[in-house]
Amino acid sequence: MTAIQELIKEIKNLKPIPAVINQILEIVDQPNSSMAQIANIIQYDPAVTASVLRTCNSAFFGLKNPAESIKDAVSLLGIDQIIEIVLMKSGAKVLSGKQQGYGLHEGAMWKYSVSSALIAKQIAIKLSLKNKSTIFTAALLKDIGKTVLDRFVMDSFEKISALVVNENLSFREAEKKIIGVDHTELGGMIAKMWKFSPKMVKIIRHHHLTDVSMVKDKEIAVVYLADCICMMIGIGVGSDGLAYRFNDQAMKELGIKADDISKIIAQFALNMQEVEDLLNVV
Amino acid sequence: MKQIVGVADMKVSNDLKDSVVTYSLGSCIGLVIYDPFVKAGGILHYMLPDSSIDKTKAKINPYMFADTAIPRLFKQAYAFGAKKPRMDVYIAGGAEILDQKGFFNIGKQNYMALKKMFFKNNVLINKQNVGGNVNRTIRLEIATGDIYIKTSGSVEEKV
Repeated sequence: MTAIQELIKEIKNLKPIPAVINQILEIVDQPNSSMAQIANIIQYDPAVTASVLRTCNSAFFGLKNPAESIKDAVSLLGIDQIIEIVLMKSGAKVLSGKQQGYGLHEGAMWKYSVSSALIAKQIAIKLSLKNKSTIFTAALLKDIGKTVLDRFVMDSFEKISALVVNENLSFREAEKKIIGVDHTELGGMIAKMWKFSPKMVKIIRHHHLTDVSMVKDKEIAVVYLADCICMMIGIGVGSDGLAYRFNDQAMKELGIKADDISKIIAQFALNMQEVEDLLNVV
Repeated sequence: MKQIVGVADMKVSNDLKDSVVTYSLGSCIGLVIYDPFVKAGGILHYMLPDSSIDKTKAKINPYMFADTAIPRLFKQAYAFGAKKPRMDVYIAGGAEILDQKGFFNIGKQNYMALKKMFFKNNVLINKQNVGGNVNRTIRLEIATGDIYIKTSGSVEEKV
């Protein structure tokens, strides 16, 4: 069996993502979706409801009166917060392990994913983009391919690393050259298998701007930039280091300047403790 | 005891049992200072070069920016009896993403901000491990002043 055949087999063995994610994403970014509609979708899944309520009632949110239903939770914390909790709960199932090939200890990938998602959302709000939940979710799940590719990266680490050091390839380019497939391609395949929208598949597939023309797509540019910012802060950076390509065209397309990036970093730094606390309750 | 320095954070100690460590410096800079005479020192982990982009945030957390953080690190060490001329100074971090240039290169800017301050204040860097595309973890042993560095993909080494 070739590495690619083996990888495809592994993808099929992945835990499925909870159906509620797709249902929420389908309506949440539509301008006429209502809070009640979204609350109904969540309520329909008792396991998700129970775990969302548990999180809402944790000390982190400091509610005076506990939320007893999703409707309560929505009115107390706001619909955006509830959607994020649902999406994060679903993502935690597939991203919370350790990735030895990428040198990420248990929880590091998860922190990286949540941080990327929060930064992407921060940029999306700053630019008043629609589809905030799609951007948040794509940033959260963009590196799902790494969870499958990890073992292969571990086996070929020396070779990959040598290409990065000696031939100036990015880590992703070296993955592709040595293993035959990179984590963004795999991520795209997984997203398709999970029946994500074509838009989500596209963002996950192109989050390193492999195809530079993709930078014109604002959603992709935002997720890409959020990833770069995480790397600069040192979040989610493992044995691959910061060996990915930076393309300032993404900033130009979005109208974001160097000072804006610094401001986003400063804002995120202030929220860092909150992020750590959030990671503990989700 | 292990004293962990978070992102935009600083720890200074003269407790001989302490080991001060900061993890995963991407474009951030880790600045280590240590006075072997009084056996006191610490690490600062700052993220950005210049507080002028947001004075309010610099007030809330001065350890975020080079210009507001570096003087605080030295002052805290002086409070333990450390003296500038005796100090060992080590820096690590300031990495960049591939192809990151000019204004967008926060790692390089972080490094330049420190160099400028050191030049004005007559501080010499003993050793450094900066730039490139790796992330770094550094550790300072208070009892000995020994510094250790671990870069992505390799094992920890003594500086």
